[in-house]
Amino acid sequence: MKFAALILPALFFLLFLYALIRRVKLYDCFTDGVKEAVPLILSIFPYLAAILMLSELFERSGLSDMLTGFLAPAFRAVGIPPEIGKLVLMKPFSGSGSTALLSEILEKYGADSYLARCACACYGSSETVFYISAVYFAGAKKRRAAPVLIALFAGFSGSVAACLLCRVM
Amino acid sequence: MNAIFALVFLAAGAVFIFTDPEGFLPALLSGGEKAAALSLSLLASYCVFLGFFKVMERCGLAERLARLFSPAARRLFSTQDREAVYLASCNLSANMLGLPGMPTPLGVKATERFLAGGNEYAADLLFVLNATSLQLLPTTVLALRIAAGSQSPADILLPTLLSTLLSTLIGWGLLRLRRRRYA
Repeated sequence: MKFAALILPALFFLLFLYALIRRVKLYDCFTDGVKEAVPLILSIFPYLAAILMLSELFERSGLSDMLTGFLAPAFRAVGIPPEIGKLVLMKPFSGSGSTALLSEILEKYGADSYLARCACACYGSSETVFYISAVYFAGAKKRRAAPVLIALFAGFSGSVAACLLCRVM
Repeated sequence: MNAIFALVFLAAGAVFIFTDPEGFLPALLSGGEKAAALSLSLLASYCVFLGFFKVMERCGLAERLARLFSPAARRLFSTQDREAVYLASCNLSANMLGLPGMPTPLGVKATERFLAGGNEYAADLLFVLNATSLQLLPTTVLALRIAAGSQSPADILLPTLLSTLLSTLIGWGLLRLRRRRYA
């Protein structure tokens, strides 16, 4: 872990040193880069707001609980324990929500239990698909549904594999 | 996305009308608040990394790295656009290392370039690779496990790595199967 923490500061240090050697005007150059940040955020913002409102509605209306209950048998059929079902369902929508859920599971079942390990692997092997699609495709003129569906399916397969692997490893 | 948005919104709205009409607006507002907060923290990381990036570009390091990455990445994304390839490769490596905040601005810029060049396949591929998670070291999970008092926090590393590898491969494979549909 210590080593990993070194990567970022070392990268900055080495780059800026190299830039100085190449006689780059660091201040001018750095601010030029920062200038691009605001337009980028502005282009993403509306999509981000819509997606986050949607995921909040989904969670607070109890729809996500209902869906979890409804899908529990299907989840069990592919080897995902029902306790993990909600996490698997939530991850594509909300990063912070699923993080909260994961720490809840760790607390409730003990960090080294099968359920907790399983939840960790499911969490680690999937991504917040809707959020990423909002951010990445903000500038796209055509709606892109196929890659989103593919990513969702792939993430789900990853969770199934994670539950299986945690059982044997 | 339009269909999903309408469907979830209407279904949730209906539930709210019947069970808890007062909870509707607070839910929306909290979504908006999260968006505002997230944009601010995204803006912060964009500032840092786009600045970092411009320095990299200006001192010629970007060119060099691109040349290093390009044979493999060019094939993967089937493109000749050097800068896009370089942005995408940096996005992927930052992802694998789990450097916080770094992948997103790079990925967004690369996607913009891919789409501007009419290369939809590359944009979709980059998205799928990002959205199936290729992190080699799941730092958040490790931190949470340690905090929860795990005896062996690293237990989950191998299963996580294998399953994330599988999901990425499935995503890539499915996209490849659809490749003919891209003009």
